Amino acid sequence: MKGFQFLPDWPLDGGPLLWFAVLLLAASLAGELASRWLKLPRIIGYVAAGAVLGPPGAGLIGAPELQTLRIFLEIAVGLILFELGQRIDLGWLRRNPWLLGASLLESALAFVAIFGVLWLLDTSPLLAAAAAAVGVATSPAVVTTVAKELGAQGQVTERLLLLTALNTVYAFLAVTMLFATLHLEYRGSWAAMLLHPLYVVGGSLLIAFIAAAAMLWLLQPLRKSEETQFILVAAMVVLAVMLAAEAKLSVAVTLLGFGVFTRLLDRHRRFVSLSFGRGGLLFVVMLFALTGASLDLKLLLAPATLFTAIAVIAARFAGKSIGVFALALPSALALRKASLLSIGLLPMSGLAIVSVQDTSALYPEFGARLAAVVLTVVAILEILGPLAAHFALRRAGEAQEL
Amino acid sequence: MGGDSIEFKQSSALTLGVELELQIVNTRNCDLTRGASELVALLGKRTHPGEVKPEITDSMVEVSTSVHERVGPMLEELCVVRDAVVEQADRLNLAIAGGGAHPFQRWSERRIYEGPRFKHLSELYGYLAKQFTVFGQHVHVGCASGDDALYLLHGLSRYVPHFIAFSASSPYYQGVDTAFDSSRLNSISAFPLSGRAPFILRWSDFVAYFDKMRTFGVVESMKDFYWDIRPKPEYGTVEVRVFDTPLSVEIAVALAAYTQMLCRYLIEERPFELSEDLYLVYGTNRFQASRFGLGGNLIDPVKHRQVELRDDILATLATLAPHAAALESEASRRLLEDRAREKVNDAGWMRGAYQRSRSLEDLVWQQTGLWRAGSSGR
Repeated sequence: MKGFQFLPDWPLDGGPLLWFAVLLLAASLAGELASRWLKLPRIIGYVAAGAVLGPPGAGLIGAPELQTLRIFLEIAVGLILFELGQRIDLGWLRRNPWLLGASLLESALAFVAIFGVLWLLDTSPLLAAAAAAVGVATSPAVVTTVAKELGAQGQVTERLLLLTALNTVYAFLAVTMLFATLHLEYRGSWAAMLLHPLYVVGGSLLIAFIAAAAMLWLLQPLRKSEETQFILVAAMVVLAVMLAAEAKLSVAVTLLGFGVFTRLLDRHRRFVSLSFGRGGLLFVVMLFALTGASLDLKLLLAPATLFTAIAVIAARFAGKSIGVFALALPSALALRKASLLSIGLLPMSGLAIVSVQDTSALYPEFGARLAAVVLTVVAILEILGPLAAHFALRRAGEAQEL
Repeated sequence: MGGDSIEFKQSSALTLGVELELQIVNTRNCDLTRGASELVALLGKRTHPGEVKPEITDSMVEVSTSVHERVGPMLEELCVVRDAVVEQADRLNLAIAGGGAHPFQRWSERRIYEGPRFKHLSELYGYLAKQFTVFGQHVHVGCASGDDALYLLHGLSRYVPHFIAFSASSPYYQGVDTAFDSSRLNSISAFPLSGRAPFILRWSDFVAYFDKMRTFGVVESMKDFYWDIRPKPEYGTVEVRVFDTPLSVEIAVALAAYTQMLCRYLIEERPFELSEDLYLVYGTNRFQASRFGLGGNLIDPVKHRQVELRDDILATLATLAPHAAALESEASRRLLEDRAREKVNDAGWMRGAYQRSRSLEDLVWQQTGLWRAGSSGR
């Protein structure tokens, strides 16, 4: 075959690009299948495709490939958090203070409930507290994606988005404080314990503010159309994600803050209220496919862990429901809608995986023990959560008729 | 209702009632949003004088006043109702705006309010039912008899261009400047039973007409007529429906006062002979007013000449001075006189606001501010 070097080697080695394409294709087909034939949220299809192709299933896509694709995950998370941040209206909390009460209460009760269950099951208090802190957060990705897929609007939808944004922030604050406590336990430095949370929150908000101000300034000369704005926003979001990560700040707080500040500073509504349409969807599909691929389904086979996980999920649901119900009427929400809102809050943040990974990196021993329980909960809720949110918004009558 | 006969329930002459259809928008990008059912449920739990009820889409809420003899107390009541609606909307993170049409909503995204009558309308009219997401003010004037109601109906038709030009507040529709001051009227014109009532002057004849229409199966009740002005036998009123919902309650009340003055003028002075000829120019005049607002022309069907609409309005307002005095609505008459003289209507204000900000979202936000203005809540 000398003289035919222009022909490629066989078999082709596509590398990460190949897996990107395969995963995207499989996920979007599975999503369509879930939606059209099973009347389920598309997310279920995305996650299933990832699980089937990834290590939990056929293993076509292994850990190294997942690592190279992780960048899409980070961009997706950034876009989603930014969008959520600029969608919620903090002024609402001022006009309806009971809503802030409901938010604090549902988060606090979920924390206490999870902590209680784990503590009863003889988990060390610190471990229990860390898992409980992670469990406070509802998944922004699931909630925003389901709401968008359904074109949902109404009180349950708006409150679900607001409570999700808030409990995500609480969860990160709690996790950061617990990390600080760990600093003390492992290294014995009071200064680190005090300064770490301050640094994370202050630094994240500072970056958020600068990013928002810079973006609005850059938007001025641009034509007010969604396409042009999307590109600028995407670039700024990636930049903010990078800065937050490099500076060891909270990506969640930074990006939510970026969204919130963008809205607050945009006094003349120069900014088309962005809902990332087609462009954003690409990242969202990848996010869920990669989440599916990162699930550790073998954990479900360990009865002890599984039992703990189910107890945690039940306790979390009970805590959130009681919080929402207790202040439903003063915050002007009918009880029927309050029950749907409680169900909608079920999805747990895939960010839990990230924080578990981060914890593992910082404190290997601690992280490993935390991981089993949290990851089992995540694996269950990754399927149950989207179904719950989908059910809640449709039952509330807030989905767009198709 | 939808009843068997349309007996005219007499009411005391020249009493007034107003209904306003209002837009419910979100606070994020000021698009129309769902929320009428929750808002109405919240308001139902509180005591307030007027009435608030849902309308055909879940993005619309209707407030109405009780029956008044004078516009002063009506304005007070309407302010109380407005404040109550704004206060409850705040709790739900909703904002309320006047205006005859939402400037940029997409009609395909609208939802029809749950309820048998609304479901029926949606099935019957298809996309028209959703395009009908337009917002009007209805003014009821009490009549001593059905004959009086029909007399006023046809007499007032002479002034329909005035009503349109003063109230016009729908220059933007589906995201574009329509060049009309009131694009809302064009949406209504798509319905088969819109436009003007047939020229019938005696109530007994009108009953015969209505029965015939019902036997044909064209209508089931008076509600199926979307005329610019129609009799409302169960209230004993004549109902003027051509108004776009103004951006503020003050203008809404001034328009009600204008209608009341005109009715008093027509009933007491019988200034011109009613005839079918009044309607020869009706469509043209209506177009001029909805297209050009206060800058339009008017063909006077009585004096057979073309005048500027604004001059016709100013002349009419001058004639009405004694009636305004008798009805204690001189303030409203002055307000309208100023607006006519300065050629200011809500459509003009909206175009100005858009020119400054170049953002329809911002325009709606300013409309919600105008509606809220004077209300204590926030």
